[in-house]
Amino acid sequence: MNFKGILLRMGILVWAVLPAGCAEEQDFDQYQDLNVTPTVEASMLYVEAPERIINQITDISFVQQTFNFDAFAENFVAERVLDGVVTYELENTTSKPLDIRFEYLDDADNVLDTETFAVPAAPTAVLRREVAYGGMGNRSIDIIRNTSAIRLSAANLGDNTSVSSIPDPKVILRSSAKFRIRLK
Amino acid sequence: MAALFCIACTGLMPGQNRQLLYDFTEIPQALLVNPGAVAGYQWYAGVPLLSGISVQAGSSGISVDDLFANDGLDINDKVRDRAVYGMDTRDEFSTTYQVELLSGGFRSRSRPSDFYSFGIYHEWDMILYWPRDLAILAWEGNADQLGRRFNLGHLKTRGELLNVFHFGVNRQVDNRWTLGARAKIYSGILHYRSSRNTGYFLTEEGENNLVANSIDADMRLQTSGFEGLRQILDDDTADQFPALRSHLVRRGFFGGDLGVGLDLGFTYSLTNRLVVTGSLLDLGLMVYHTDTRNFSLRGAATVEGVEVILPEALADPDRDFWQDLVDEVEALVPFEEDSRAFVGFRPTKLYGSIRYNWGQPQSGPVPEPCDCDYRTGGAAGRQISGYRNAVGAQLFAINRPRGPQAALTAFYLRRVGNWLALKATYTADKFTLSNLGLGMQFQAGPVQAYLLADNLLGYRNLAGSRYASFQFGLNILSWKRN
Repeated sequence: MNFKGILLRMGILVWAVLPAGCAEEQDFDQYQDLNVTPTVEASMLYVEAPERIINQITDISFVQQTFNFDAFAENFVAERVLDGVVTYELENTTSKPLDIRFEYLDDADNVLDTETFAVPAAPTAVLRREVAYGGMGNRSIDIIRNTSAIRLSAANLGDNTSVSSIPDPKVILRSSAKFRIRLK
Repeated sequence: MAALFCIACTGLMPGQNRQLLYDFTEIPQALLVNPGAVAGYQWYAGVPLLSGISVQAGSSGISVDDLFANDGLDINDKVRDRAVYGMDTRDEFSTTYQVELLSGGFRSRSRPSDFYSFGIYHEWDMILYWPRDLAILAWEGNADQLGRRFNLGHLKTRGELLNVFHFGVNRQVDNRWTLGARAKIYSGILHYRSSRNTGYFLTEEGENNLVANSIDADMRLQTSGFEGLRQILDDDTADQFPALRSHLVRRGFFGGDLGVGLDLGFTYSLTNRLVVTGSLLDLGLMVYHTDTRNFSLRGAATVEGVEVILPEALADPDRDFWQDLVDEVEALVPFEEDSRAFVGFRPTKLYGSIRYNWGQPQSGPVPEPCDCDYRTGGAAGRQISGYRNAVGAQLFAINRPRGPQAALTAFYLRRVGNWLALKATYTADKFTLSNLGLGMQFQAGPVQAYLLADNLLGYRNLAGSRYASFQFGLNILSWKRN
């Protein structure tokens, strides 16, 4: 191949592959429509009270305590949380019916939301409840955004002497939160 | 989001392979990629700031077009399918640019077989491997992912801005061998790296509570030069631009981190038509000791929320269970900062080639290599590059945080008189298997201009290209004949 032929072919190559360095139409405004909303899940509160302690406290209310709970009040969460679900699980192996109340408090100790549980005496099934906030739920996500403490109250609706026949009788409260967070 | 930013910035442009420039011996800057290349000129002087500008960028797993094409698809589906789940940890985003601030070279009068070259160039180089598990965690979260270990080791990145001061010696040892070496002093401006991370984040069924979140981390980010930048940018009372410029220039001219390096190269004529070359670049290290700031996260912890177990929990009515939990986690997995100096190795590069020359030499017939002094006229070695045609293959490899990366190139080189040389390449690497490149050097008297462009097929749709690079420059040079 002579040189003219080589030049011609190279010219054709450049002409073919470099049509002004074009680019297909791009729509960078699509970035505005990008939603990065992961769902994060973590346990909240675990409370365990053996029956012997419940029997020792003659007052009907054997637990009434406010726990500082800043997980939701962290700026990162409070400003970005969209919706989610709090899951409660109550397991009662004591001989007493119990009344358990969850209260969400803001910085000024105002009650934002309340969740109550009436738990029959053992033997009884594990009580599981899911409460939705924001989104399709009927409770406002602002409750979560403004919560900085949780008050837990537990009342013994039975006696102070009986002991369950189940080994190591106790009441256990488990809870977890699953919330969608907007990162973008 | 960082990855999307990288795509936007680098979506056109693999890292550091300069296959068009390599062994393109008409261009003096070829000595930067092989100090042992045949240097046939008497002297050269690069036009300051314009003698060598090269830009390269690549993304091995995705292109701008994959995400932002106006195709009516939901961008959330495209990001999820093509980026978050479509890329793996071998995929990368990388950019490199290099600007020669000053360059020149001359042949020794007392020993004409020696050619000296020197200069200063400014370089930026970064690489980010796709942190797949972290991207999935950010996209999906940890909910409904019980038992899945998100690998924290997927985070691997490094980047560096520096000036390089270099001086090289190129010697034609005999008619077969040309050897070269280049000494370098690195003046670091900015540096970051986070490349030796291990650990995982795991959500599983809790032992007591409903779920347990566990982290086992050994992560580290080392930086240099950024704290000074931050202070300048935070200072609203001063004019930031001059302060920023002064800070960067000072660090770039021996006021920052320092390092030393060495390039080695050779050219060996097996016959007067068949030539092999090789080079090893940036065998060096840097000591980062100025303006360093390092962050680490080391330890292991499992959390099941606030645990209140009666009657022990009632002993102290003022106890803050939440703060206790936070303190416990912070003690088990401390996030720490320090300003200790550290050492880093430069990304070492390896080139090799084999070239077959043919065609009427441009300046008379070429004798077989002989054991004679080229100054007496048996200048076979120096004229080998004078053949009109050359064809061959090149190998490139670079040391990266996830191990060496390699590229293979086939090339054809054509010389036209003394004024024009063209080089066409086909390169296969992790970025693309359809990389066609074309380079041209043109001379008018003592003025030389060159333009080298890679992945030409990608120019049909720049947004769809996963790799692009170009280099150009202007030199004044003498071949003795001009």
